Amino acid sequence: MIEASLQLPATVESRGYARDITGRVMRRWGARIGAAWIVCLVLLAVFAPFLATSHPLLMKSAGKWSSPVLQSLGPSDVILQAAFWMALILWPMRLSVKTKVIAWLAVLIVTAIPSINSLHPPQLFVYQHYRDAVRSGKIEQVVFAPVPFSPQDHLRDQEDMRLQPPEHVHWMGTTDNSADLLSNMIHATRIAISIGFISTGIAAVIGVVLGGLMGYYGGWIDLLGMRVAEIFDSIPTLLLLLCFVAIYPPNLYIMMAIIGATSWVGYAYFVRGEFLSLRDRDFVHAARAAGIPLPSIIFRHMLLNGLTPVIVTASFGVASAILMESTISFLGIGLTDESSWGALLEEALGGGGTFYWWIALYPGLAIFLTVFAYNLIGESLRDALDPKLGRMM
Amino acid sequence: MLTYILRRLLLTFPTLIGITALVFFCLAASPGGIGGPLLKDQRRLDTVDARRIQEYYQKRYGLDKPAIVQYGRWLNLISPVGFQLKDDGTLGSFGFKWPSLGESMGRHRQVASVLAEALPLTLLLNAISIPVVYAFGVLSGIGSAKRRGQTFDTLMGASQLASWSIPTIWAGVMLIGFFANRQYFDWFPPAGLHETEALNMAFLPHWTAAGWERGWLLDVAWHLVLPVICLSYGGSAFLTKLTRGSILENLSADYVRTARAKGLSESVVLYRHVFRNSLLALITIAASILPALLSGSVVVETIFSIPGMGKIAVEAVQNRDRELTLAVTLIGGVITLLSQILRDVLYAVADPRVAYD
Repeated sequence: MIEASLQLPATVESRGYARDITGRVMRRWGARIGAAWIVCLVLLAVFAPFLATSHPLLMKSAGKWSSPVLQSLGPSDVILQAAFWMALILWPMRLSVKTKVIAWLAVLIVTAIPSINSLHPPQLFVYQHYRDAVRSGKIEQVVFAPVPFSPQDHLRDQEDMRLQPPEHVHWMGTTDNSADLLSNMIHATRIAISIGFISTGIAAVIGVVLGGLMGYYGGWIDLLGMRVAEIFDSIPTLLLLLCFVAIYPPNLYIMMAIIGATSWVGYAYFVRGEFLSLRDRDFVHAARAAGIPLPSIIFRHMLLNGLTPVIVTASFGVASAILMESTISFLGIGLTDESSWGALLEEALGGGGTFYWWIALYPGLAIFLTVFAYNLIGESLRDALDPKLGRMM
Repeated sequence: MLTYILRRLLLTFPTLIGITALVFFCLAASPGGIGGPLLKDQRRLDTVDARRIQEYYQKRYGLDKPAIVQYGRWLNLISPVGFQLKDDGTLGSFGFKWPSLGESMGRHRQVASVLAEALPLTLLLNAISIPVVYAFGVLSGIGSAKRRGQTFDTLMGASQLASWSIPTIWAGVMLIGFFANRQYFDWFPPAGLHETEALNMAFLPHWTAAGWERGWLLDVAWHLVLPVICLSYGGSAFLTKLTRGSILENLSADYVRTARAKGLSESVVLYRHVFRNSLLALITIAASILPALLSGSVVVETIFSIPGMGKIAVEAVQNRDRELTLAVTLIGGVITLLSQILRDVLYAVADPRVAYD
C-alpha cells in the first residue's frame, strides 16, 4: 500500500520521475524501516481472518473435510483478498499505470457486487462449539489458525479468562471481556491502515481543490476561502471531532470522512501559496490562451509544480489521522463494534487503581510504531523531494 | 503596524462567529438535539412528570425555539450591545448591557463561574509546560547542532522523531500504570491536582508538631509531574529539531566566517553570535505552541482527571450542553486567533525586513 502512495505522481507524471523519487526515498534507512513495518501491517490486515480466528482452517468431521473459515468470510474480507492478489499480479506487468489502476478497480467492482449481495456470514457465532466438538471427538482432524481465537470470541466455555496476563495460549493476554488481545490487535490493523489512507486522501482532495481555487482566482474567493480555512484552523481539532462524532453514530466510514474533513487546512494553505506564485507564470498564461479547460489547467499544469509539499504533508497526515482515531476511540466515543488499538488501550487502567500492563503495552506500542513508521517515511520523502527544506529542518 | 493589528482583530469577529456557528449547528443536528442526553435522563419518572420537566427545561433554556433563533439569542447574550433579556425569556430594550456566557444546562450554574474554576488549571498546566518544552528543546537542539553528524546528533534525531510519534494517550496510561500504581512504583498520585487534605495545609513546606508537612505548593507540584511530562515531550522534540535547524542555518552564514576569522572562540561564536540570531525563530514559534498545548490538554486532563478546560469540553459536548460547549469553543478560538496575530506581529518585530503595511 505504501508503494501505491509513492506511485501517486506516476498517475499524472512520467514514470521516470516516480521511479527516481521512489529510488531516492528508499535509499534512506528510515524509509526502509518504515515501509517494512507498513508492509507487515498490510499483510496482517489482509490475512487477519486466516491468522486470528476461532474457525478452524480445515477440519474433518463425519469423514468429510470442510473449511469453516471460508464460510465465515464477509464481503469486506473477500474484496480485500481480491484487491491484494490483483495488486500483486498487476504489479510486475509491463502496462501503463493507468491501465493497471483501471484493471485493478474493475476487478474490485466485479468481486464487490456479488460478494456484498450473496455473502451473509452470521453476525453472532458460538465459537466454543468448535472446541467442544474437538474435545468430544465429533471433529476428527482439525487445523486451527496460528492464533486460534476470533476477536469476538469471549471464551465462554472456559473458567474466568478475564484480564489474564500473557501466557502460552494467549500470547498477549486477554481483555476485559475475555477476548484474546493478540487477535483483537491483528484485526485492528485494518482500521489503522484504512483510516490513515482514506482520511488523508479525503483531506488532501478537499485541501488541494479549495486551495487551488483560492490561489487561482484570488480576490473574494480567496478571502472567503481563507476565512473558512481559518475557522477550521482555529477550533481545537479534537473539539471539532468530538462535535462531529456526537452527531453521527460511530461508524468507520463516517469516522474517516470526519477526520478528513477536519484536517484539510494544511494542504489548502500550501497549494494556495504555490498557486499564488504560479498563476502569473508564462506557462499558465499559455495554457489559458490555448483554451485548455480550467480543471486541466489547475490539476495537470499548475498542481504538478506544487505537488511536493502535498505529498510530504500527506505522509505526515496519515500518521496524525491514526493518532486522532486512536485518541477518539480511547476517549470512548469512537468505534464500538470493531476492535481498535485506541479502544483496547482504554481498558488498561481498570477501576480501583489496577493496571493491566499487557493491555497498555501492546496496543500502545502498535500505535506508536505505526505513527513512527509514517513519520520516518515522511521525513525521508521530504529530504528526498526537497533538499532545501530538508537542510533547514 | 497599528492598522494591521486592528484589521486582524476586526477579522477575528467573522471567524469567531463562524467557529461557534459550526459547533452549534453540529450540536443542533445531533440525534436528540441540544440538551438531548440531559433531558433523556428523566426516564425514572412517569411520563407526566417527565413531560413536565421537559417542558420546564425547554422553556427555561429556550430549547423549543428553532436552532437559528437559539444561536441568535446566544450571540445576543455574549455581545455587549444588544437586547436586554427579561426574566420570562422575552427580549427587552436595545442598548448597552453586560455580556454574559449564560447558564450551563448540565450543571445549573453560570458558565462564567464554571470556567473561572477550570481555566486557571489548564493555564497552570500550560504555563509550566512551556518553559519545560523550551528548556529541554533549546538545550538538546544546541547540543546536536554542535555535534552535527556525530553519533549524539544521529541519536537525538532518531529519538526526537520517536518521541514526536509517541501517542499522548499511551504515554499517559503507561506513566499512570507504572509510576502511580501500587503494583509497581507508587511515586506519584494518579489523578487530580491536589489531595483533599492539602487544602488545609500551609502554602509552603514546613515543620509542624506532627512532623514534616509538604504544604499546598509542593502537593500541587507533586501532582503536576506526570501531566506536565505528558504535555511537554512532544513539544520538546519539535523544538529540538527547530533549534538545531535554525542554528545550523546560521552557522553557515557569512558573519560566522567573519567571527571565526577574527579569532573568536567557538563558544563565543556559538552563544553570542549564532544563538542570538537563532532566537528569532524560537520566539515566534511560541505563539503556535500554545494552541497545540491547549488541544493536547484535552487528552491529558481526561487521563489524569484534572477538571480543566479540556475535561469540561469533552463533558459539555457529550451532554450537548449548549452554553458550555459554545463558551469553551469561543475561548479556544480566541486564544488560537490571538496567538496567530501575536505570531505575525512578532515576526515583524523580530525581523525588520517583514512589513505588513
